[in-house]
Amino acid sequence: MSTVFSREPQLPVIAPGENALSVTRSVSGVVLKLPVGLRWMGSLGFAMMLTGIFLVGICWLLYAGVGIWGLNIPVAWAFAITNYVWWIAIGMGGTFISAAMYVTRQDWRASINRLAESMTVFAVAVSGLFPIFHLGRPWFFYWLFPYPDIMDLWPQWRSSLEWDFWAIIAYLIVSIAFLYVGMLPDLATLRDRARRRLLAIFYGLLALGWRGEAQHWRRLESVTLMLAGLSVPLVFSVHSMVALDFSEGLVPGWHSTIFPPYFIAGALFSGFGMVLVLAIPMRRLFGLQAYLTDRHISVIAKLMLAAGLWIDYSYASEIFTVFYSMDKFDVRMEMNRFLGPYAWLFWSTMAFNFVQIQLLWFERVRRNHVAVFVIALGVLYGMWLERLMLIVTSLYQDFMPSAWGMFYPTFWDFAFLFGSVGLFLSLYLVFSRLMPMLSMYELRKLAHKRNEVEG
Amino acid sequence: MSPMKPTLPETDVGFDAGAARERLAATRGPVYWRSLEELADSEGFRRWLRQQNPGLGEALLMDRRGFLKLLGASLALAGLAACSHPPQTEIVPYVHKPIGQVDGLPRYFATVLTREGYAQGVLVADHQGRPTKAEGNPGHPASLGGTDIFAQASILQLWDPDRSQSVRHRGVTSTWDDFVAAALAMSARFARSGGEGLHVLTGPVTSPTLAAQLDALGRRFPNSRWHVQRPAGGRNAHDGAQLAFGKPLSTRLHLERARVIVALDADPLSDPAAGVRYARDYATTRSPDRNRGAMSRLYAVEPTPSLTGLAADHRLPLAFPEVGRFALQLAGKIGVAAPAGAAPAAGEQARWLDALAADLQAHQGAALVLVGASQPPWLHALGHAMNAALGNVGKTIDYGAPVEALPADDAGLPGLVAAMRAGKVDTLLALEVNPVYAAPADLDFATALKHVPHLLHLGLYLDETGEVAEWHLPQAHALEAWSDARAFDGTASIAQPLIAPLYDGKSVHEVLAAFTGDDLFEGHALVRRQWRAALPDDKSWNDALQAGVVPNSALPAVATSHPDLAPRGGISVIPAKAGLRGPDAGANIGEAVGPKGAPQGRRVIHVAAGEIETDSGLRRNGEQKAVDSFSQAGSGKHETNAEGRVAEGENGERLELLLRPDPTIGDGRWANNGWLQELPKPLTQLTWDNAALVSPALAAGRKLKNGDMIELRAQGRTLEVPVWIVPGQATRTITLHLGYGRRSAGHVGDGRGFDAYALQTSASPGWAGDVAITATGRHYPFAGTQHHFNMEGRDLVREGTLAEYLHDPHFATAHDRYPPDPPSLYPDQPPGEYAWGMSIDLNACIGCKACTIACQAENNIPVVGKDQVRMGREMHWIRVDHYHVGGADNPRTVSQPVPCMMCEHAPCELVCPVGATVHDSEGLNLQVYNRCVGTRFCSNNCPYKVRRFNFLQYADKTTPQLMAMRTPEVSVRRRGVMEKCTYCIQRIETAHIQADKESRRIRDGEVLTACQAVCPTSAIRFGDISDKQSGVAKAKNSPRNYAMLNELGTRPRTTYLARLRNPNPALEDKPA
Repeated sequence: MSTVFSREPQLPVIAPGENALSVTRSVSGVVLKLPVGLRWMGSLGFAMMLTGIFLVGICWLLYAGVGIWGLNIPVAWAFAITNYVWWIAIGMGGTFISAAMYVTRQDWRASINRLAESMTVFAVAVSGLFPIFHLGRPWFFYWLFPYPDIMDLWPQWRSSLEWDFWAIIAYLIVSIAFLYVGMLPDLATLRDRARRRLLAIFYGLLALGWRGEAQHWRRLESVTLMLAGLSVPLVFSVHSMVALDFSEGLVPGWHSTIFPPYFIAGALFSGFGMVLVLAIPMRRLFGLQAYLTDRHISVIAKLMLAAGLWIDYSYASEIFTVFYSMDKFDVRMEMNRFLGPYAWLFWSTMAFNFVQIQLLWFERVRRNHVAVFVIALGVLYGMWLERLMLIVTSLYQDFMPSAWGMFYPTFWDFAFLFGSVGLFLSLYLVFSRLMPMLSMYELRKLAHKRNEVEG
Repeated sequence: MSPMKPTLPETDVGFDAGAARERLAATRGPVYWRSLEELADSEGFRRWLRQQNPGLGEALLMDRRGFLKLLGASLALAGLAACSHPPQTEIVPYVHKPIGQVDGLPRYFATVLTREGYAQGVLVADHQGRPTKAEGNPGHPASLGGTDIFAQASILQLWDPDRSQSVRHRGVTSTWDDFVAAALAMSARFARSGGEGLHVLTGPVTSPTLAAQLDALGRRFPNSRWHVQRPAGGRNAHDGAQLAFGKPLSTRLHLERARVIVALDADPLSDPAAGVRYARDYATTRSPDRNRGAMSRLYAVEPTPSLTGLAADHRLPLAFPEVGRFALQLAGKIGVAAPAGAAPAAGEQARWLDALAADLQAHQGAALVLVGASQPPWLHALGHAMNAALGNVGKTIDYGAPVEALPADDAGLPGLVAAMRAGKVDTLLALEVNPVYAAPADLDFATALKHVPHLLHLGLYLDETGEVAEWHLPQAHALEAWSDARAFDGTASIAQPLIAPLYDGKSVHEVLAAFTGDDLFEGHALVRRQWRAALPDDKSWNDALQAGVVPNSALPAVATSHPDLAPRGGISVIPAKAGLRGPDAGANIGEAVGPKGAPQGRRVIHVAAGEIETDSGLRRNGEQKAVDSFSQAGSGKHETNAEGRVAEGENGERLELLLRPDPTIGDGRWANNGWLQELPKPLTQLTWDNAALVSPALAAGRKLKNGDMIELRAQGRTLEVPVWIVPGQATRTITLHLGYGRRSAGHVGDGRGFDAYALQTSASPGWAGDVAITATGRHYPFAGTQHHFNMEGRDLVREGTLAEYLHDPHFATAHDRYPPDPPSLYPDQPPGEYAWGMSIDLNACIGCKACTIACQAENNIPVVGKDQVRMGREMHWIRVDHYHVGGADNPRTVSQPVPCMMCEHAPCELVCPVGATVHDSEGLNLQVYNRCVGTRFCSNNCPYKVRRFNFLQYADKTTPQLMAMRTPEVSVRRRGVMEKCTYCIQRIETAHIQADKESRRIRDGEVLTACQAVCPTSAIRFGDISDKQSGVAKAKNSPRNYAMLNELGTRPRTTYLARLRNPNPALEDKPA
C-alpha cells in the first residue's frame, strides 16, 4: 500500500520529538488528568438528548408497535433497516483499519486503530438494536437463536436474516474482544499512573493482571494476530451477509449477485468516512495532533476515495446489468430510480457518493481538514441515502402495479435515526474519557522505531 | 349494556335506596354488587332472580366454599354460555342436546336479509348462539348461494356496539312499557279521529306481515296515510311500468337466456333486489365452454361506470339525458315508434346505434334492453316497448304482480313533507327510515318536522331522526327478530331470529302491533298468524323455515297473452299536462292514434311533453360539439380535446350531477359499518369517503387533481367536495354518492365524507343539470387501496376476444416464456393426501368485492381505519384489483381478485428466519401466527403482495360484542404479526375431521372457501387439484388457465382463467 502513496512527500506519522514518555503522558493524560471541558460536556449533553429521544421512541415502539413508523405494504422495511445497514457498515471501516492493517503490518495505524476499533464496537452495538426493534414483536428476537425449545423449534436456516443474526453476534463478539485485548497494556499503564485508589482498582481489574512480562507480550501478539486474522474475513462475510438480506429476495433491485462486494465497498467507504468524522474533531478536542497527524487524515481520505471509486464502479455495474438483462421488472425499477418520485434519492446518492469525493484527488483538499470533514460527512449521508434508496425504491413498485405504494417517514422514523446517532456519540464520548483513545504501547513502539531510524 | 344483562322485570323489583344504604352501612368489608336491585337485596329481587335464573337465585345464598366449587364449573362453561341468552320464546335448554348439534361446529339457520325491502336468502352460521357469518342460501332465488356485500356486513351490523340500546323519550332513556302505554293512548286518540293526522313512513315493504299490519292500520284509522321513501330514483321503474302497462308490474329478468343485452344506464349486476341472482345468470351466458362456443354480448351506455359497465363488451359513456335520446333513436331503429325531434346522432353514437339495432334484431327473443333505475319513467316505458317489439317478453324478461306492497295513494316523501308543512301531520311513525338525514335538501325535512307534534322513530341506530324524535325505539336487527320478506320474484321467506335481541330491540311488527292494539304483540306470533293459511301446520312451517323459502310463493309471471302485456307500438309525446305521472299516465294507454311509424293496431304509450323534455336544455349549440368531441376522444387526441373542452367549459358548457346511493354504504344506512366503509369502492378503490367523480377530460380542462376540493353548485345549493378522476366517466358528468356526511351514525360513520343530500332535489333526486364547479384550492386526503391502475405491460390480467379464443384456445399462455412449472433448483414439494388449489375465472368476475368482505367476516380481519388505509396498511386478505386498459376517456376496466397464491415454491417461506411461514403437505402455505416475530421479509419478498401486517394492534381486544362476533376457529391476530389468506384452513380442517370420522376422503365441493361461497358468479373454484375429477382441476384444465407472474418460478396454486370479451366486429375496428 505504501507504494501507492509513495509519490506524496512523506509526512511523518508521528510528530517529531515524540518519545515513549511523551506519548504516555499525553494519551493517558486525556483520561486521567484533562479536566472535563465545556466542549466535551456540551457534546455529551447534545448526544444524551438525542439518546433520550431514542429511548422515548423505543418505549413508544414497544407499547404501540412498528406502525409508529411510516412502514406499509409494500414498503415493509425502510428507515430501521437502512439504519441497521448504515451502522454496521460504519463498523466495517473500523475493523478494516485496525485488523487488515495490523495483519499487513502498517505501523502508522497505531494512532488510529483504537479510535477505529471503538467506533466499530459502538457502531455494531447500535446497529444491532435495529434488527431487534424493527421486529413486529421485538421481545421474541431470541427465537432466531437455536436454543433447546420444548417444541423442537429451530430457526429457518435458509433465511439470510438468520445468518445475519449470527453475523452480527459474531462480529460484535470479535470486535469487542479485539478492542479489549488490544487495550490490555494500556489499561495497565493507566492502572499504574492512576493517582486515585478507586481508579487504580478500576483499571487494575480491567487490565487482568497485566504486568508487562515478555510472556504477556508474546501472548498479546499472538492473540491480537489471531483476532485480526478472524476479523478480516469477518469484514467480508458479515457484510456479504447483510447484502444477502436483500439479494436473497426476488424483489427487483435486490435480486442481484453483485450485492456482496458492492456492500463491502459501501461499508468500507462509510467506515472510512466515519473514522474521519470522528478523528478530525477528536484530535482537536483532546490535543492529539502529534499522533493523529495530517498524514493520517490524508491517508484515510485516500482510502475513502478508493472505496468510493469501488462503489461507484458497483453502481455502474449494477445499472449496466439491469439494462443488459432487459428484465422488464428490473428495467422499470431502475428507470424509477432515475426518474420516479424517489429520483432525488438516487441523484443525491450520486452527488454525495460519486461527485463530491472526486475532490479528494487533490492534495490541497486532503490537507484541508474542514473540507475532508465535510466530504466525509457527505459520504456518511450519501451512504445512508443509498441504503434507503436500495430498500424503498426496490419495494415501492415491484411486481403488481395494483399494490404499489409510497413510503413517507414519520416523526418516529427520524427519532430513531437521530436517536441512534445520539447513542453512538454518547457511547463514544464516554469511552473517550474512560479509555485511552490511542494505543499507547503501539505508539511508543512507533516512536521508538522512528527515533531509531532517525538516529 | 352488555348482552349478558337480563332484562329486568317490569314489576316486583323495586330499588329501595334506603334499604340499600342500610345494608351497606351494616356490612363490614367490601360488598360487591352488580345492580342497584341486588344492592337493595329486596325480596322482590330475589324472587325475580329465582324466576329468571333458578340456579343463580340460590347462588346468592351460597357460602364461600360452595361458591368456589361453582366457580370452577362456571369457568369451564363460560365459553359456552358467555354471550347471549337464548330467545325468550320457545326456550329449550340443552338438557338433551339438540339433534345435529355438535359442540364446536356451527349450525346454519335459513333466514333472509333485506336490501331496500327485497329479500336475499341467507344461511347464517351460529356458533353456540352467536351468529358469526352469513352465507347465501342456495335454495333462495335471489341468492342461489351467493350474497352481496351487505348481507356479509349484516353480521357486523348485528354486533355493532353503537346500535341504539334503549327506548328514548324526548332524549331521555325510557322503557318499552312507557312506550306501549303512550302508544295505546295515541292509538285511542286516533281511534276517535279515524287516524286524522297519523302518517307512517317506511322504506319499500315486501314483508307480507308488515303489509298486512299496515293494511290493518289503514282500516283501523282510515284517515291515516302511509308513505314509502325510496333511495334516489327508486320510484322511476315503478312509474315506468305504470306508464307502460297501466299497472306497476314488477320486472324479472332472465339474463341466462339473453344473448344480446343493452344496458341503458342500467346496472342489473348490482341491482339491490336481485343483483346477486342476475350476476349468476349473466355469468352463465359468458362461458363459451358451457355454451358450445357461444357467449352473450353486453353493451352498456351509461354516464358513470358501473359494475355492468365494467363487465360490458362495449361501453359508451353518455351524459345522463343523452342516454334517453340514444334510447329514442335506438327504439326508432328497431321499429318502436319514438317521438321525432331528437337530434340525429353523430359519429360514434351513430355507429353504435346501427350496430346495436342490427345485433338486437338479429337476436329477437334472446335480447334484452334494460333501463337504469334512476332514468325517467318514460324511458322505462320505452324499454318495455323495445323488449316487447323484440319479442323478449316471456323469454328474457317477464312481468309479475308488484312484489312491494304499495300505499293506496303514495305521495312519497314530498307528499309527506307537504302535509307536514300544512300542519296536517300530528303523529309521524318513521319506521326503519332516517328522513332527517336521507331526504332531498329542498324538502328541508328537519324544518318541516317542527310542524309535527309527535315523531316516533324505530331504527337500529339513534340516528339523525332518532335524535329529534319524541320517541326513539331501538329496532331489533334482522337476525334478532321474526319477520318475513319477498324476493324480487315474489318468493316469500320467513326471517327467523338467531339470537335474542342484544339491546332490547323490537321488530317493526311488534311496534306496529303495540300501536294498533293488536291482540298479538310478539313477533313470532304475528308472523305465524300471517302464514297460518299458507303454512297451516307445524311441519310446513318448519319446512319453510328450514328451507328459507315458502314453497310456491313466487308471484307467477303475467302470461304474454295477457292484455296488460299487449305489445306497445312505441311512445308518443302528448302536450304537457301537469300530474301525468303515476296512475294517471296509464289512462292514456290504449288510444288508437299512434305516432308516425307505429305499426297499425298497436297501442302507444303516451308521455307528457314535460316528462320527456326534461333534457330540453341539452338542445343547445354546445351540445353537438360536445358529442363530437367525445367521439374523437378515444382516438388519442385526448390532450387537445381536453383543451378544446376547456374553452367550451368557460363558455358556459353545462355539467351535470348524478346522485346515487353509495356502492358500499348505500343511502347512508350502512355508514357505521366498518367493513363496508373500508371496502374499496368499485373502480376508484377509495375507502371511508365519497368523492365527486369526474372524467379525465373535465379534470384536465379544469386542472383538477385527485383530492382537489371543488365547490359544486346545483339549483342554488352548494357543497364543497373533493374530486376523484374516474376513467370512463362521461365527459361532463359528475357523480356524487349519497350516504356520507352522517352526523349521527355512530363512532365509525360520523363525519365521514360529504353529504350529497344537500344537493338533492325531490323533483329529480338522481340527477341535476346546470351544475357549475369551482376549484377552491383546498385539498382533501383520500384513502385508497390502489393507486396505480395501469398494468404497465405486465400480463397480470390476460384477456382475449371470443374469436381469438375459438381460434386459439391457448391464447392466454401462448406468449409465456416458461412452461407452467418453470425449471427450478429447488426440489418439488412432496405430494400430500390432498393438493389444495384455487382457480379464479376472470371471465366470470364482475368485481363486486363480495369476496373481500366475506373473507373479512370469516377470518376475523380487523378494520384499520382511514388513516391506516392512507398509510397503505389495509388488512384485506383477498383484494380485487382493477386495471384500466386503453385510453383514459373510455378504457376497458378489468377486475382481478387476488388472494394468496399459495406458491409451491413460495418466496415468503425461504426468507422467514423463524419458520413462521411454512408449507404443509397439502400444498398450503401456512402462516404460524404465534411463531411470527414480524420481520416482514416475507411480505417484501411476496411478488403478489398479498401479505398483511399488524403494524399496530388492529384487532379490537376490548369490545365484548366484537369478540362475540368473531369466528371461533380463526385466531385473532395481535400486533406485530404477519397474516394472509389461508384458503380458509379452518374450513378445510373441519372437513378433514368429518371425513376422518367417516373414514373417507374429503369430497369435491365439501370445502368452500368464504370467497368462493359468497361469489355471486361462481368465479372462484377451490378444491383438490390432485383429484382430476374435481371442479377446480377441471377448471385448471381449461386452455384459458394461466399462472400470474409465472416467470418468477413461484408455481402458484391459485391460477386464473383468462377473461374473454365478445365484441361486436362492427364496433371493434376503432378503439372503443
